[in-house]
Amino acid sequence: MEQGIIENLITELTKLPGIGRKTAQRLAFFILSMPAEDAKGIARAIIEVKEKAHFCKVCFNVTDNELCHICSNPSRDRNKLCVVEEPSNIMVIERSKSFDGLYHVLLGALSPIDGYTPDRLKIHELIERVRKDSIQEVIIATNPNTKGEMTAQYIREMLKPFSVKVTRIAYGLPIGGDIEFADEVTLSKALEGRREI
Amino acid sequence: MLRRTEGIVLRTIPFGEADLIVTYLTGDLGLIKAFAKSPRKIKSRFGSSLEPLTHSIISFWGKEDTALPRLTQSDIIHPFKSIRDSLNSFLRASEIIEITLNFIPERDANRNVYSLLLHILQALENQDNPKILVNHYKIKFLKLVGFAPKLDACGRCGRSGTSFYLSHGSVLCETCARGIDSPVKISAAVLKLFTDLTTWDTLKVHRIKPSDILLSELSDIINMHIKYILSKPLKSEAFNNSISG
Ligand SMILES: [Zn+2]
Ligand SMILES: [Zn+2]
Repeated sequence: MEQGIIENLITELTKLPGIGRKTAQRLAFFILSMPAEDAKGIARAIIEVKEKAHFCKVCFNVTDNELCHICSNPSRDRNKLCVVEEPSNIMVIERSKSFDGLYHVLLGALSPIDGYTPDRLKIHELIERVRKDSIQEVIIATNPNTKGEMTAQYIREMLKPFSVKVTRIAYGLPIGGDIEFADEVTLSKALEGRREI
Repeated sequence: MLRRTEGIVLRTIPFGEADLIVTYLTGDLGLIKAFAKSPRKIKSRFGSSLEPLTHSIISFWGKEDTALPRLTQSDIIHPFKSIRDSLNSFLRASEIIEITLNFIPERDANRNVYSLLLHILQALENQDNPKILVNHYKIKFLKLVGFAPKLDACGRCGRSGTSFYLSHGSVLCETCARGIDSPVKISAAVLKLFTDLTTWDTLKVHRIKPSDILLSELSDIINMHIKYILSKPLKSEAFNNSISG
């Protein structure tokens, strides 16, 4: 019987990304040895997130209110909108403390061969925000890969009829890296995106 | 065992936190999948070498029969960056990628398909008529993998006919069709374009300048044929329609 409940926990944990059978086993026995309150805290947090978290009705960030903490913050700059692929991207940009505007989450990126068409993303909602709100600049911060770039180009096309400035985050070399190890595509993008100093 | 070969990235699928499963078309081994550790991290040594269409020398590690060898190195021969730089040309290239992925079994080397793909990418990069190139690729590719539609004569008896039957992948004469009519008609102009696209060299194919209507007519027939064989439409085709429509 006891074997059964631990086995069950191991099987459940392997559903998480990057967790194989061995790691799941290690985690399961660690949970077993934790103080009961700590372990229950994890379980409660998971249940709470699944019961209460949903997408912000304006920007599609994750929130437990109608509006997320960024959309409802009166001190944010409402003229700037930063477009990202996933809610987790917002967290990373916020940690950089270099952006004080609002966000818009697409919930994915365009990918023709995977069937990710524009109507599967929150692009229509983005255009509506630009049409209705006082947005002056849309900063496209999709990933610096082919899917992210195609998405950025598509959005730029769709926003052409509006008098809004559309910018794309710069491509560049990673800080702390050595030019010698950069590949030709990364380097040519970094050169294209050079600026005067 | 460590293997080294030359390949073209067709697709990448995110796996776990920062890993990728990369599908390559190679000359030596046909279609292969490889597991790449952490390429999505900004400082990854793979850099941009795993972006779709990148032509590179790759090394991977794994037992002879392993389904997912581990990618240890990829050095770019040519990035085909300009095809990815424009939404329009990448959308066209996506049709090429998707049809290739759908018709070729894994680990079944086909040198001819590999060089056709390489030539098409070179042509796509240098020429400004992607639609004719994509149709040229589809027709040549279908022929190489044994699924070419037959448009010039009855697929059963060789007599002439102008009605195309999806179920036979061929034109049938009135006798062989037993009087059942097909709504897909092959005009002389469509047949001529099809023959030209089949026989002309990839580097010269841009000199064929059909009208948009004629090219769309042939393109629709080829796409219907592909859809019939795969029992599903190409996703990239639906994507192109959703954007232009
Ligand atoms: Zn919000
Ligand atoms: Zn016949």
